[in-house]
Amino acid sequence: MHKSLFKKALSNPLAYAGFIIISLIFLLAMLAPLISPYDPNEINVKAILLSPSLQHWMGTDGLGRDVLSRMLHGGRVSLLVGLVAVGISTLIGIILGAIAGFYRGWVDVFIMRLVDVMLSIPSFFLILAVIAFLTPSIINIMIVIGLTSWMGVTRLVRAEFLSLCDREYILASRTLGAKDVRLIFRHLLPNSLTPIIVSAVLGVAGAVLMESGLSFLGLGVQAPQASWGNILTDGKEYIQFAWWLSLFPGLAILITVLGYNLLGEGLRDALDPRSGSQR
Amino acid sequence: MMTNTSHCLLKTVSTLLISLCISACGSSDYAANSDIDLNKSFASEAGGSLINAMTGEPSGLISMIAGESASSAISSNIFNSLLKYDKNLELEGDLVERWQISADQKTIVFTLKPNLKWADNKPLTSADVLFTWQAVTDEKTASPYASDFQLVKKAEAPDPLTFKVTYAEAYAPALDSWAGLQILPKHLLQGQDLHTTAFARKPVGSHYYKLDSWAHGENLKLSRNPNSVLGQAKIEQLISRIIPDNSAQFLELMADNIDYMGLDPIKYSRIIPARPELQQKLALYKELGNSYTYMGFNLKHKPFDDKRVRLAINYAIDKQEIIDGVYLGLGINIASPYKPGTRWSNPALQPYPYDPAKARALLKEAGFADNDGDGILERDGKPFAFEIVTNQNKEREKSAVLIQRRLKEVGIDVKIRAIEWASFISRFIKTGDFDVVVLGWGLGLDPDQYNIWHSSQQAPGQFNFIGYNNPTIDKLLEQGRVELNPDKRMKIYHEFARVLLEDSPIVYLSAGYGLTAIHKRVKGIDDPAPPAGIGHNSHEWYIPQPLRRNEINQ
Repeated sequence: MHKSLFKKALSNPLAYAGFIIISLIFLLAMLAPLISPYDPNEINVKAILLSPSLQHWMGTDGLGRDVLSRMLHGGRVSLLVGLVAVGISTLIGIILGAIAGFYRGWVDVFIMRLVDVMLSIPSFFLILAVIAFLTPSIINIMIVIGLTSWMGVTRLVRAEFLSLCDREYILASRTLGAKDVRLIFRHLLPNSLTPIIVSAVLGVAGAVLMESGLSFLGLGVQAPQASWGNILTDGKEYIQFAWWLSLFPGLAILITVLGYNLLGEGLRDALDPRSGSQR
Repeated sequence: MMTNTSHCLLKTVSTLLISLCISACGSSDYAANSDIDLNKSFASEAGGSLINAMTGEPSGLISMIAGESASSAISSNIFNSLLKYDKNLELEGDLVERWQISADQKTIVFTLKPNLKWADNKPLTSADVLFTWQAVTDEKTASPYASDFQLVKKAEAPDPLTFKVTYAEAYAPALDSWAGLQILPKHLLQGQDLHTTAFARKPVGSHYYKLDSWAHGENLKLSRNPNSVLGQAKIEQLISRIIPDNSAQFLELMADNIDYMGLDPIKYSRIIPARPELQQKLALYKELGNSYTYMGFNLKHKPFDDKRVRLAINYAIDKQEIIDGVYLGLGINIASPYKPGTRWSNPALQPYPYDPAKARALLKEAGFADNDGDGILERDGKPFAFEIVTNQNKEREKSAVLIQRRLKEVGIDVKIRAIEWASFISRFIKTGDFDVVVLGWGLGLDPDQYNIWHSSQQAPGQFNFIGYNNPTIDKLLEQGRVELNPDKRMKIYHEFARVLLEDSPIVYLSAGYGLTAIHKRVKGIDDPAPPAGIGHNSHEWYIPQPLRRNEINQ
């Protein structure tokens, strides 16, 4: 059933474009070790800040490292952080949202107030504050982004559950003696999956941006490991001269975020029956 | 909608026209007559204004309280000290005509120049000096410089031209400390709280310049002080603009809106030389600063308490590679904690060469071996791994990356962490919670480094945060403080540097050059820079009339 939904989604040209972009970026990132012309951490003090040429397609950085190789390896970091962080936040969101929507009562009130409190804190500053207490590393970044961005999914899942719980097929299952777990995992969750998928895809775009922002501030991925964000930071000082250090990672972030957004919006249009713009 | 758009367009066009007009009105004579050769020599003449940029705004202009570089950069143009350093870094009189040290070396008698005046025409006498000493040593002032002056047992002003200080015991850095203390006017400050007084924002001094205006967050404007005790400076007005971002400062420099800024090596040797239009109008200066970058071990942590390990790491790091790659050759490989070429730097000492084989041998001797074949050495089953912490300083971060690579080659796994300055100091330095740091020391002119290396200086917030404890060094530092004979003192500090190098509590990475770009309209700058730096004769700098900006006087 989901396969046909996916097909349906890809009939939307925007979603298709997004899908192609994301697939290409994934392909490049996965093949990074094979197609990188240089070791991304290979320092060459004799080739500092070279402009793009046949030897270095995207030029070199302040330590003479090949920017193309660093971009490819940095892409792995950005995509990994995006996926894992969203995985964590979606998992937490589903669990809390399901509990709140299914059991209602004081549990619901408690979880929803928790969501309100979390949402009242600007998430970037929350993440900055948490990272300041931890050692910056890829794993910590993924966990922190995941742990601070589950609120939207929670609300979404709860809303879906609230509306589904009163449907007749749920009532029927209940009457037939189905246990809570069976109700949640066999009946409610599969029927709420569409908005969760859409929100997760859009969430990846947010997480990629967040990781780039943190790395740009020096709180993300640490040297010598490359990420698009820290290549951008290196380029900031020399933006009028070493334009390649700012342009390429900037473009990469832009295209990736655009890709995820196109895919997410397209999926929503295609899958959500309530969406007005469905074709 | 349409009207809206055309309205917008009209607005944009008019804004553009206005800004064009403004930039045309604001442009300099030299820009209008760009055929004037900036390299031509011009006769020295008074007038004009020099604009520089500073990243931070001073908190106040009483430097004994502010204790920050932004403050002293401005206040050193407004206030004099008793003594100053000349271009060869020899002490000479600033406010004083002469000074005399007693035979037991405990008493110094300063004789002020006659007829000194404050900018408000009141006489400047030894009573002002005595007042300043009382202020700096007053506990309520809580000056970071108090400790130097608290050693004075008695200070007197027997007549208006004489100021006499008596130390409990001979104190070698005494004269240097008096060269650093800016003298304040008693008649304006007596009975006031130095921390809250309005004087800090409206100072009255005795030096070449006086403060005209201070636009908060924008600029400070100084003009010549007619009563200047050292005669008149050439340039009429000094304007310091506050521009926090380095890249923005550089844009302003390129746009001719500032005359003067400090550069990093890449701007100095790559960017400006690559742009003929910048090269044409900017003169570049480099001078060896009185500072160095180092990698320091936390000697309280294992295995850095083992001298063989410290030496191994010293041998494993290629310092020349750091100087070439990070400082683009604009640095010097050093072997003592003093500016190379000065009398305190021991010329007999050689830096540790890059010798990975020796490093491996020393590590093996210290009990490290790669038993599991993963390329990382272990001792007692624990891999040799540590974290280098540094502040977010591009040169230091890059140095750390180069060190990381070299240490990996001998089997040491290094992680790097770069943190914003304030949290770096409070979280790691003050708590001593680090393995290895990459940092720099900026030094005074006196060779005394008691507060950096003496074992008594290890309390949180004090400077011996690496936990160095060596009785030989302690003794040498104590001797150096009380030895007033320059030659004997030099021998003490040469020996100090030798023991330090041998013990290797830190790895000297480089002594870097201070790099400055100054617009070529500014003439009279010494090149090459004398030991005291290009700024030593800034009162003699001048801007010839044809090269000046057009200025609208208010």
